[in-house]
This record gives sequence, C-alpha cells and structure tokens, in this order.
Amino acid sequence: MAQFDDQAVVLKHGLGTRVFHWGLVLGFLPTASTGIALWLRPFSGAGMHTVMQIHIIGAWVLSLACIYFFLFQYKRVVSFWREIFTWTKNDVEWMKVQGGYPQKIFLGKIVPVPAMRKMNSGQKMLGIIVFFGVILIAVSGWILYAALPAVPKEIAFYADKMHLILGLFITFCVVFGHIILGIYNWKEFVCMFGDGTMQVSEAAHHNALWVNEDIEVVKKG
Amino acid sequence: MKYNYVEKAIQVTRREFVALIGIAAAILWSGAYAVTDVVQDRNKYIKMRTMGLYKDDEKSTIRQSHHNKSLMDMYAKLAGKPLSPMAEELFHTTYIDRTKLA
Repeated sequence: MAQFDDQAVVLKHGLGTRVFHWGLVLGFLPTASTGIALWLRPFSGAGMHTVMQIHIIGAWVLSLACIYFFLFQYKRVVSFWREIFTWTKNDVEWMKVQGGYPQKIFLGKIVPVPAMRKMNSGQKMLGIIVFFGVILIAVSGWILYAALPAVPKEIAFYADKMHLILGLFITFCVVFGHIILGIYNWKEFVCMFGDGTMQVSEAAHHNALWVNEDIEVVKKG
Repeated sequence: MKYNYVEKAIQVTRREFVALIGIAAAILWSGAYAVTDVVQDRNKYIKMRTMGLYKDDEKSTIRQSHHNKSLMDMYAKLAGKPLSPMAEELFHTTYIDRTKLA
C-alpha cells in the first residue's frame, strides 16, 4: 500500500459533482415529499394546489440539475457509468457482509470488509437504481406535466403508475438508505456538502483501492 | 482548504463520447418527432371539427333559444317559464367539494 502523509488531503468530489448533488438535494427532496402528499391527498383544495406547485418547482430543479451534469460534466457521467457497472469478486464479498454496517451498528462488531474503489457495492447498487429510476421518473413526469393532452390515454395511465411506483421506491431507498448511511459516515457527508476534500487516511479506510490506484499528487503550476 | 491529491483524469475515448452524444441525440430527436407528430394530428382534427361547426352555424335557421319551438313547448308544458322555480330546480346544480372523496 502506498504511503501517504498523515495530514495529506485529497479532493474527492469536485465542484461540478457537488453542485449537481446540491441540485439533487434541493430538487429531489421537496419533489419526493410533495409526491407522497399528492398520492395520499391529506389536504383539501388550495392545500393540494400548493403541494402540486412545490412538486413542479422541485421537478424543474431536478431536471435542470440532471441536464447541467450530463452536458457540462459528461466525463463524470462516464466515470459514474463505468463505476456502477464494474462488479468484481470484492463486490460479491462486500454484499455478503453488507459492508459490515449492520454488524457495526446493531451488534457493535467490526468484521473484515473487502477493499473498495470510489464507490462501494451498496453505492453501486443505488447508483444503478437512481440512474435509470430518475430518468424514467423524469420522462413520465414530463409526459404528465407537459404532454397529457397529446398522448394516448394508455400512455398517460402507465406513465402515472410508473411515476408513482418508481417515485415511492426511490424515495424509500434514498431516505432509508442513502441519507441515513451518509449521515452515519459523517466525514463523507462533510466532504460532499463542504469543499469536497477529506484526509487521505480517512479515504483509505473506506476506499482503499481508489486511494492506492486512482489518485495522484496535484501538479504544481 | 488546499489539497495534495486529486483523482486521476478520466479518459473518455472518442468512441465513447460519440456514442454518448448519439444516444442523447436519438432520445431527444425521437421525443421531439413523436410529440410534434401527435400534436399536429390533434390540431388537424380540431381544425376539421371547427370548420364543421361553422358550417352547421351557417346552415341553421334558428339562432336564439327563445325562437326554439321545442324549448318553448317544454317550458309551457313542464317548467312554466324561463327562470321559474321549477326550471331552477330542474336545470341547476350546487357545488360539492370533490377533492377528497369519502
């Protein structure tokens, strides 16, 4: 394993990635919560109208964030795509122990976990779900928002069903998986929501292969 | 905060870049074509129906409801006269909030 200074710092998430993540946070969370309200309809008349307005604004933010990332950070899209579809024996072993998280959180036990690259196997799994899920939610949502009078009623019916089911599923995965584990791994949380940097020693604990093989010294000048 | 290390640059081959742009363009073009096609067809039928309605208007001889003999007969035999209490009861409804169906 390469030797790094104790105080060495690595830029793990660049500005483009962090801006996109903020777009996802500010777009997805209001859209998801108002989506549940639109499904359960706990309010009447004017309340439901306000809920729908917030849902539309959140969906616009989410759509624009995705378009920005695809157009201006396409290399990160390619990197993400490569990462989520590269599965090795390490990933199978990681999934068998669930990354050691349940043992640590519920039993206080530390179990050996295979070395991971920039994304661990659980993050790759969520990455696949979110990549395709958000595209389908966005397409079905835009049909429901902008093209409803123009599409055949069967398309409208299935777009509505797909939008609801996928929306609920991704909301569940994000709220009960991604957000909880993100807060649990506080240093990663601070890295993504802060300036994108973390100590190399901390990164090596969770992403040993990435630290050893995929980072380099910043070139001066 | 300054940092000492960065991730190595991502190499995207020309083939991957062209494939990405090609897929994006195909999705956008297909969507735009499908929506344009459906919207144009829908407008065609709306315009045809509008012309049909205008032709019906030109052909009709009775143009006001109070000249309609069947309607006047109905009021005489059933509802009394226009705006009578019976007419109000039969031909009007009240607003019910259907946002939350019980």
